[in-house]
Amino acid sequence: MPKKPKLLTLLDILCLILVPAALVLILFFTPTERVMGPVQKVFYFHVSAAWAGMLSFLVAAVGGGLYLAQRKMKWDRLSLSAIEVGVVFGLIAILSGMIWAQPIWNTWWVWDPRLTTTAIMELIYLAYFILRSSLDTPESRARLGAVYAIVSVVTVPLTFFSIRLFRTIHPVVIATESSGGGAFNMTSRMQLAFFSSLFVFTLLLIDLIWHRYILAQIQSANQEIGI
Amino acid sequence: MEWRGRQGVPVMLVFALLVVFLFNFALQLSPDLQADLTAGLLWVSLAFASTLGLNRSVSLEQENKAMDGLLLAPVDRSAIYFGKVISNFSFTFLVGLVLLPIFSLFYQQNMFKPLLILVIILGLGAYTSLGTLLAALSIQTRTRDVLLPVLLYPLALPILIAAVESSRGILAGMPISDYQSWLLFLLAGNILFSAAGLMFFETILEE
Repeated sequence: MPKKPKLLTLLDILCLILVPAALVLILFFTPTERVMGPVQKVFYFHVSAAWAGMLSFLVAAVGGGLYLAQRKMKWDRLSLSAIEVGVVFGLIAILSGMIWAQPIWNTWWVWDPRLTTTAIMELIYLAYFILRSSLDTPESRARLGAVYAIVSVVTVPLTFFSIRLFRTIHPVVIATESSGGGAFNMTSRMQLAFFSSLFVFTLLLIDLIWHRYILAQIQSANQEIGI
Repeated sequence: MEWRGRQGVPVMLVFALLVVFLFNFALQLSPDLQADLTAGLLWVSLAFASTLGLNRSVSLEQENKAMDGLLLAPVDRSAIYFGKVISNFSFTFLVGLVLLPIFSLFYQQNMFKPLLILVIILGLGAYTSLGTLLAALSIQTRTRDVLLPVLLYPLALPILIAAVESSRGILAGMPISDYQSWLLFLLAGNILFSAAGLMFFETILEE
């Protein structure tokens, strides 16, 4: 059984401290948004979860590419772990977005480009598990999974830029000159809370992928000795 | 190559027509709604029908281990991929060409517009180049061809959206500037997915 690295333990502790800290920052430090009221505070974790999800899908594609180049199972484990964690973060983003949308848009769901592309992204990565489970050898699972992870990553930029490409009611957060009126302005306190929750979620993402990776190591070790 | 079977295209065509009929009953389309939905119906029926063709194109090769023979041939694997894409594309395009007059009749609307045919070419090109890659992938799994729709539809959805949007624009007689970004999107899809096929087809088939 692989030993738990010290750095991972440190990361665990860091996440245990920083996630509640970010929550405190969001709940008590940031001002309440004038129009939307307290429900706007969902936004911090919502964007962070969406960011973490998309980042992990990118990691999965890189892992897939490295597997195809080097044919080492560790890259397949990375790819699988990243997708599994990413799907959970994507689900968090969708659910928290729904909670925000119910009072603000007065509906749980609209067929808006951003929402649709995010839902499609989730479906694509759910199909990844179906693909893997219907393959018999670890080698073919890794090889075909890698191809699929790379091909599906096209939806990540599509989802990310969908609010800029198409006409949509979803707010643009990372404002640029061209996005203009759709963007909303954050006060400096909001920005602080926003960027710290982005940072915390990135740490949490690394932590969870790492744990899942170790789990995959144990699984394949068990398979080898036939448990 | 597919010509020996010769059932492919008629089956796809009948299936596409059945999809159209099913949707008409299921959605209880009123005449003014029909006009708006023609583009969507056309693409849904094409997408469903081409799944049949895509699955056939790889399962035929598996039946008598013909794929092994193909792989032994001293040609580049990408040639096999493009051969498959071209055959899949041509058969689906044929179905599309037959569907156009039928749609024109059923929905009282002239579907023979050069731009619409261009959209069909671009849309089906992207759809089949992605579909061929995924069909080769899904045929290797235990669930075989059942898996293809699950893998293909979500990944192909952006292509279908772009195809529907530009077809709708053409049918409604909108100026080309309204939907030219969708056309470019389709073109990009063609390039992207055939590049992916070129890169990964060999990896998928190796044993």
